[in-house]
Amino acid sequence: MTMGTIAFENVSKTFSGQTEVRALEAINLAVGEGEFVALLGPSGCGKSTLLNLLAGFENTTEGTLLFDGKTVTRPGPDRGVVFQEAALFPWLNVWQNVIFGPQVQGAPRAEYEKKARNLLKLVGLESFAEALPVQLSGGMRQRVGIARVLAMSPRALLMDEPFGSLDAQTRLSMQQLLLDVWQSLGTTVLFVTHDIDEAILLSDRICVMSARPGKIIRTIPITLPRPRSIASLTTAEFVAYKARIMSDMKVSAAPV
Amino acid sequence: MSISTGPIASKPASSASHLTWSILSPAGWRNLRQILLAVVLPALVIVLWQWAGNGGSLFGGVLPTPDKVWQAWKVWAFGSSGLSLNPYSGTWLANLLFSAERVGKGFLAAILVAVPVGLAIGWNRIASGALDPTVQLLRPIPITAWLPFSIAVFGIRDMGAVFLIALGAFYPIVVNTAQGARDIERNLVRAAMMMGAGRWTILRRVVLPASLPSIFTGLRIGLGIAWTAVIVAEMVAVKSGLGYVLWDAYYVGRMDVVIADMATIGLLGLISDRVILLIERWVLAWRRLQSFQS
Repeated sequence: MTMGTIAFENVSKTFSGQTEVRALEAINLAVGEGEFVALLGPSGCGKSTLLNLLAGFENTTEGTLLFDGKTVTRPGPDRGVVFQEAALFPWLNVWQNVIFGPQVQGAPRAEYEKKARNLLKLVGLESFAEALPVQLSGGMRQRVGIARVLAMSPRALLMDEPFGSLDAQTRLSMQQLLLDVWQSLGTTVLFVTHDIDEAILLSDRICVMSARPGKIIRTIPITLPRPRSIASLTTAEFVAYKARIMSDMKVSAAPV
Repeated sequence: MSISTGPIASKPASSASHLTWSILSPAGWRNLRQILLAVVLPALVIVLWQWAGNGGSLFGGVLPTPDKVWQAWKVWAFGSSGLSLNPYSGTWLANLLFSAERVGKGFLAAILVAVPVGLAIGWNRIASGALDPTVQLLRPIPITAWLPFSIAVFGIRDMGAVFLIALGAFYPIVVNTAQGARDIERNLVRAAMMMGAGRWTILRRVVLPASLPSIFTGLRIGLGIAWTAVIVAEMVAVKSGLGYVLWDAYYVGRMDVVIADMATIGLLGLISDRVILLIERWVLAWRRLQSFQS
């Protein structure tokens, strides 16, 4: 029953307005159960829009978008979204933020409280249950953002540059945390990033996107052995992947 | 501030100064200095006023000196010993309570209507389209212009005053609440939707708390208007309260009572504003931390 399959079939998205913006053009993407897929591209390439469509925050203009075989029409707890700036409720403490999902869904209290306690331990914040988001560092806030999503047992995790605003060291420890969590839960993950290292380290497959209109220009399977850790970042295989992707993305020292 | 700030202050000296100054903590001293600083200007005005009025010629003798006002206030508050024909004697508290009760009722009514309406206007496009134009159309009509209407409809009774107060306080609360609901961070709403919250849950558990800072701004402005409205209403539409005494005392030439009355209104306004501020600090503790750290 732990599905979490994603299927974009010829999905396009146009933002209407004074000047129409073609954000996504004919996206075809299938993600299987338990797969970790990274969307990699420069800012403005529509990768966040793609995630927002799947989350149900925005509607597709053309094409079909299926989650576990059903058309996506609205947001729901089966697709847990981790936002770039965590988007925690600033008036609720860590504990209240984590139980918010199951609580508003009317889940049995004893059950979700036990789960929330375990999740806080998992992300290393059991002693910060009473703290307000504003009292936490950026990395800690994002740990809460992950815990509150996992509290709902989603079938897929949609992560929108979740570590993009963290410093390099915190980012590494968050990547390790995510690897550990994913390797034990096996949930489907769609992960948006502009960081090549991050995409290679975490994912089974990288979809490289280009901008205006947003398109998937290349799909690269990453077959680095699992379980991975941040130690994988320095292996020869890793560096080979990186070189290939950089040439794919035409990253060079020459001015653009 | 400490006395022994010299770089070569010897140990015994510093511990001695510590002893003498230990009655109050450093924070206590800062507070005391704040209070002293705050009373300088009012004290100066009162002294000057007393000094100018001692000749008995201040504005042709119309304006009583502070000591006369104080005397009148004492009689008004506690009554005078022996027989007196002073109609205000000992009625201060009763009139104060009349006014405060009207403000309380009107202000509460305003909150109960304005907060839900404001949230609806800020949160829902249909509600906004249906309600906002009417609110904006009625808002420019000053509460003083509503006086004849109020008297005609409610007569010379409490209800008229409460109506004016509620109306006056309604506008700033509704406008600020709507603004707060409109300005809500998009991702907070998305996060709530993603976690399975329905429209009502989002309104109650996300939009309302996110709007509270603006709501409190509206409450403080609204309370100020409520005090204005109660005085205006009592001067014309009711026969009791601080506004009634104010106008009545003016008519019989009791400027000492008039000034004591004004001071009472000012004091009440200040105290009620502080009460709201205290509640705000308690309710919005999360916000205070936020502004301290950023």
